[in-house]
Amino acid sequence: MRRLLAPAGLALVSAIVAPSALAQFAPVTPESPNADGIRSSYLFVTAFTFAIFVLVEALLLVFVFRYRRRKRPRFEDGADVHGATKVELAWTAGPVIVLFLIAAFVFVELPGIKDIPQATAGEEEIDITVTGRQFYWQYEYANGAIAIDHMRAPAGVPVRLEVKSPDTDVIHSWWIPALGGKIDAIPGTTNETWFKAEKAGTYSGQCAELCGLEHARMLATVEVMPRDAFTAWLAQRKSEQIAGSGELGKEEWQGVCAKCHGLGGQGGIGPRITGAPTLADPAELAELVRNGRRAMPAVGAGWTDQQVAALVAYLKESPPSGS
Amino acid sequence: MAVRAETVPGWQRGKVASWLVTTDHKRIGILYISTSLVFFCLAGLMALVFRLQLSQADAGVLSAQHYNELITIHGTAMIFLVSVPLLAGFANYLVPLMIGAADVAFPRLNALSYWLFVLGGAILMLSFFANGGAAQAGWTAYPPLSEQTPGSGQDLWILSIHVLTLSSLAGAINFLVTIHNMRAPGMTWMRMPLFVWSIEIFAVMLMAILPVLAAGLTLLLLDRGISFGPWDVQTHFFDPAHGGAPLLYQHAFWFFGHPEVYVIVLPAFGIISEVIPVFARKPVFGYKAIAASTVAIGFFSMLVWAHHMFTVGLPYALQAFFMIASMVIAVPTGIKIFNWLATLWRGNLHFDTPLLFALGFLSIFVIGGLTGIYLAAFPIDWQVHDSYFVVAHFHYTLFGGVMFAIFAGLFYWWPKMFGRTLSERIGKWQFWFLFVGFNLAFLPQFFVGLEGMPRRVYTYTNESWEGYNLASTIGSYVMGIAILLFVVNVFRTSRRGVRVGNDPWQANTLEWYATSPPPPHNFDDLPPITSARPLYDLRRRLRGERGERAPA
Repeated sequence: MRRLLAPAGLALVSAIVAPSALAQFAPVTPESPNADGIRSSYLFVTAFTFAIFVLVEALLLVFVFRYRRRKRPRFEDGADVHGATKVELAWTAGPVIVLFLIAAFVFVELPGIKDIPQATAGEEEIDITVTGRQFYWQYEYANGAIAIDHMRAPAGVPVRLEVKSPDTDVIHSWWIPALGGKIDAIPGTTNETWFKAEKAGTYSGQCAELCGLEHARMLATVEVMPRDAFTAWLAQRKSEQIAGSGELGKEEWQGVCAKCHGLGGQGGIGPRITGAPTLADPAELAELVRNGRRAMPAVGAGWTDQQVAALVAYLKESPPSGS
Repeated sequence: MAVRAETVPGWQRGKVASWLVTTDHKRIGILYISTSLVFFCLAGLMALVFRLQLSQADAGVLSAQHYNELITIHGTAMIFLVSVPLLAGFANYLVPLMIGAADVAFPRLNALSYWLFVLGGAILMLSFFANGGAAQAGWTAYPPLSEQTPGSGQDLWILSIHVLTLSSLAGAINFLVTIHNMRAPGMTWMRMPLFVWSIEIFAVMLMAILPVLAAGLTLLLLDRGISFGPWDVQTHFFDPAHGGAPLLYQHAFWFFGHPEVYVIVLPAFGIISEVIPVFARKPVFGYKAIAASTVAIGFFSMLVWAHHMFTVGLPYALQAFFMIASMVIAVPTGIKIFNWLATLWRGNLHFDTPLLFALGFLSIFVIGGLTGIYLAAFPIDWQVHDSYFVVAHFHYTLFGGVMFAIFAGLFYWWPKMFGRTLSERIGKWQFWFLFVGFNLAFLPQFFVGLEGMPRRVYTYTNESWEGYNLASTIGSYVMGIAILLFVVNVFRTSRRGVRVGNDPWQANTLEWYATSPPPPHNFDDLPPITSARPLYDLRRRLRGERGERAPA
């Protein structure tokens, strides 16, 4: 019995040191309370799993070393032990207690992970609709401003995301590890998640549900900026959109067209389109992106006239170079 | 039996023909095992190709489409053409021998099962040459994606699984009837080898879950549209544009898919429960607890499917239910692991290759099991779901667990099947290559998953993921060497292997009472069965008759 104390002691020590020692092997540094709650839960579980891991592997090694054959005859019987009810009960009850603790911890952390915090006085909750599409993310702000792939959001403010996918599209999954867990964008369903980042910075992630050929290129970034800068950007984006100018056209080219046709229109899984007359013909371009043609899906189905105009303006200003 | 041999028509007696028409459970078992090992090599080679693509950021080894085809067929094949039929092969070979029967209940149905498996496997592998290439929506084939991919690959994928489902169902019925009705006198339920217990539950589970998968896949096929002569059928079960629900498919798939994991793992557990006592020279610790935990795992595994769907936006109450149900399974699994450890305790351990693989299984499976707790705790799953963390987790259970157990079983029963032992020297090299290669390949995937790398991406740009991926790729090739060593061992053994007697390991169960290899009818007579270890009892009695002292 005393021999078993060493593995048990080792396991206890592991349980205590595991959360700090293994902190680098945990979800990325959280920048939002929900990601933080998930990470705490992860580390709490690690305390137990690592201890059990150490216990089992230590017992295994001790037994392998201690009970190896040595000079005994090859087929000499070991101890004639068939089992022990008390021991069976102990290693049934032990895991039940551990799992109970883990489940309890998860339920305590859960509200802080799933519930969007109430906006306090002086700050306003921001709503953004996130639409996953083959193979880009489209963001719509409350004032109608639209962005592709690169989201901008204010620091210190709860940001509520409505995540969905058009009925004709496929399932995607929204995931920015530093800003919380993932939530699927499912055609016909609207899901919800949120984040609240205190620190300005750019956090990246990507689609986490296989959505087709360019799934791997369906990246997303969230740029958290000071509140004033964000407000200014949002107003500017809105007015540019109405005027048919600005960054949106470039985002559409890079996020929607270039993933299949290449940044210079040189071709990729889609054909080379550099110099294609359609690019310079607003009516035909609108018809193409909205309805698709042959192998090309309707990547811009449901786009507003402003969205199409932004792309037309961008292509007029900087037509694809071919490389 | 000699009489029956004379009634066999001449054309069926040839070396090849006799295998083609065989209804002998042992030959069918060997056919199952060898065919699935061929598929194992093919699906493994696919992995070596896409690991090359992932070895560095922005590699250009494979196109996105070829990558998606390879991961889809790799996953599908490893589940349907490797794990399940390999274990079905063991079950075919061993169940009748272990319970003292002459064959399975329905030998012809058994042959049909095998040939349907070959057909299903051929359809899947040949689908690479189909119009549009093989299926490319992952082994889970989620709609709407799987309904939108053009070409015939996805349809052939569905056809292949339908055929394999029929094969598995016929097999499951056969095992169940055999175990219930054909046990030798004295072979009560509580004296049955633990491997047979695992096959009992394996069969019950397959019968419960395969129809649900078949239904889901039929709806998928109808949604993709089929033509019967003048009739075109095009339904919209999973198509939201026409009021369908894509999530319905996920429920059907995972109601099958999660129990399927245990369908595979339980017989692997069964092999471990047979191997460890023999090489520890002890009775298995807690026979009843292990048998009961097998039943419990089988039952609870059907209540956990939606833990694969924690990110689809299920109500929190449901997520909580599926978390707790998933955690409950950890308890009987823990019981097994502790009982195996206790079987080693105070044993007389001799490290032959089967025991090495069984110990490797124990040390690796623990990691697979423990990392499952993160996935069961649903808020944590929101972070790690569909990332490389999951890929690492299920390879730790399915490769580290199941394949290590299967190799333990192959080395253990090889002398029974062929009368010769596999080379221990090559076997030990294979073990160490596989153990090191496996951990090198899959341990880094936990970390890269935590850093945000999703699964099923054909390329990545984040250079901080490169180190992990390169290690993974190197590990996969080390595993490749291990498998090559096994192939060499098999061919070398067939010519130069050491011939051994009926019971080279001094084992406990009835199959070792038959000759090696056993005759077509298995047994001329049987020893009395008064415990779960009839051969141990027999040896003891014979020693007593010879007046020898029982070893302490």
